[in-house]
Amino acid sequence: MSVTDDRRDRRRFTSTVLGPRSAPEPTPLGHGVVRGVVVDASSGVLCLAVPGGEERLAYDHTTSFWRGGEVGPGGLRTGDDAVVLGAPGGRPAAERVWAQAARATGVIVDRGTDTLEIDPGHGRPRLTVVIPRRSSGRISVRHPRLEPGYVFDAVGVWSEGAVWASRPATAQPPHPLAATPHRPPAHRYASTLRGTATWYDPAWGRSPHLDPGARVDGVAYPALDPVGHDAACDRRAPCVPLPLLSVGAAVSLRNDCTREAAVLPVLDCAAADSWLCDLCPACGGRGAGRIASLTMNGFVALGGRLEDGCFDATVTVHDGEG
Amino acid sequence: MPMLPEIVEAAREVQLPLLAVLLLLGAAAKTTRRAADTGLAVLVPERLRRTSTVGTGLLEAALAVGLLTVAGLPGEVVRTLTAVVFAVSVVVLVLVRRRDPEAGCGCFGGLSRIPVGWRALTRAGLLSAAALTTLGLEPAGWQVVASAAPPHAGVLGAQLLLLALLSPELRDVAARSLRREPCELRDVSLRHTMRVLRRSEVWRTNMPAATGSEPDDVWRQGCWRLLRYDATRHGRRMDVVYAVRVDGRRDTAVRAVLIDRGSGAVVASFGAVARTALPSPPRRLPRPRQAARQEAGRYDAARAARTLRTARAHPAGSSPGVHGLDGRDPDGRESTPAG
Repeated sequence: MSVTDDRRDRRRFTSTVLGPRSAPEPTPLGHGVVRGVVVDASSGVLCLAVPGGEERLAYDHTTSFWRGGEVGPGGLRTGDDAVVLGAPGGRPAAERVWAQAARATGVIVDRGTDTLEIDPGHGRPRLTVVIPRRSSGRISVRHPRLEPGYVFDAVGVWSEGAVWASRPATAQPPHPLAATPHRPPAHRYASTLRGTATWYDPAWGRSPHLDPGARVDGVAYPALDPVGHDAACDRRAPCVPLPLLSVGAAVSLRNDCTREAAVLPVLDCAAADSWLCDLCPACGGRGAGRIASLTMNGFVALGGRLEDGCFDATVTVHDGEG
Repeated sequence: MPMLPEIVEAAREVQLPLLAVLLLLGAAAKTTRRAADTGLAVLVPERLRRTSTVGTGLLEAALAVGLLTVAGLPGEVVRTLTAVVFAVSVVVLVLVRRRDPEAGCGCFGGLSRIPVGWRALTRAGLLSAAALTTLGLEPAGWQVVASAAPPHAGVLGAQLLLLALLSPELRDVAARSLRREPCELRDVSLRHTMRVLRRSEVWRTNMPAATGSEPDDVWRQGCWRLLRYDATRHGRRMDVVYAVRVDGRRDTAVRAVLIDRGSGAVVASFGAVARTALPSPPRRLPRPRQAARQEAGRYDAARAARTLRTARAHPAGSSPGVHGLDGRDPDGRESTPAG
């Protein structure tokens, strides 16, 4: 039995034992989001290589493009990893295009002159982050201590195997990760919790046109039960009292800014999101604490903007207790 | 009955062993690994943290030994130094609070991880004052312990109570032990889950069907931990899925379903408790009029008519004669042998 089958079965079995409300069927996301590799971006048509073929999407003067900053259609290059939010109404046209979008969330383990080595936790490969001169001011305002042991979270673009940070995605906590204050135990639990949702790239920017995993909709969850999870999930007590779940569970998640909602499967551990207890300034900043990390496609489909890095969200988890 | 001067004298003398014990406890707690990021350590650079914590612990241990063993002029020096150390710690705690409002005081090492508050500050100030009162006393700490009298015990009791009220550590320990985390958030070992499962009747019922004794998959859904076992029944491959409640209290602790692997059909389910109110004998019979109303409410005419139609249409009931399936007339009356 493959791992994927096993996880799907977990949801089916949970639903059978604890009732269908505890493990709802994941819902398809409404917006058309396409991820692929740019083959051609000239003459008003964006041509993307995707698993099993090619997608063509029209663009016009209303389409916006991002590649570390707002660019024109000429800013896209052949071979770029692009995430495209389709125009509403199902037309084969692009509303917004993100090229080479990357994110580095984790703890700093090493520092060079203008580079950092980031450990994203839960056994994911370490990332090299380059802080170019033009964005170093923005980064250092929100990340005053770029020293080993401190947490780092920034959005940028992939280039030459490294993440070139272009904007910070959070305000850095004032203490090293190892000195995080002891959170008092939560005494109350609610099945509906508010906080912020972030995003991660399940394919790490590598060959999204070949990897079907790059296009999945799902979440990495910061409160994964260590039993039954093979990979190391070095999570800490998150500042939102999230119920413990395993890979294969399903959570209802709503974007509080756009009011779009979906049921998404839990795919992975989001240890780094349990280390941070921050607000999302992108839309109001009401709930503190990260509740889920969506895959790139899922985040865009729920109305998030990759460069903001987060949106306020509400998550609902049922466990058959009525 | 002890007089006031005696009580005051006893109160001063008690401070020596009391301060010594508190300092020793503090010194011992500072040797733990978790102590490194609290108190004074917050104010010094990263590389000096461990050193500063260990240094503070050693100083405290030295003072404690001095308070217990030394009298005379050296004793006065140790007592003054103790008062100074506690006074300085008040200043340090104020600075720590300003630098990092979430840092713990570190007074008792890793135990003191609650953010510095008025309790920790008052306690340090009070202990500084206690050390000052011991100046000019003749006996050393061990002599006080050796010649302890009832007034000493009374003063010690009152002071321990005051210190307990001022100690955030005790409040934290009490809060953690008295109020348990909700089961959804609680980390529970697989061993505990297996113990609850193996004690249950649901386990004993399904055990013969399972092919292995260890679960093939384990996962969590809030309050429940779920375990899947491969099983066979009448030669067919099955999955037994157990759900074990983490705190094992509400309703029933263990549920299970037996699912046919080929068709996905639920063959049997165990342990689930009905949530709808079951009819139970009433404590008092309702009034006839009320009982009739209740009966009328429960009677679903459409459903009854439908059931009757189905029963009439059933081949087994289409035998000649007027008798229905259960030996009743179509209008529901019991038939007699005479017809």
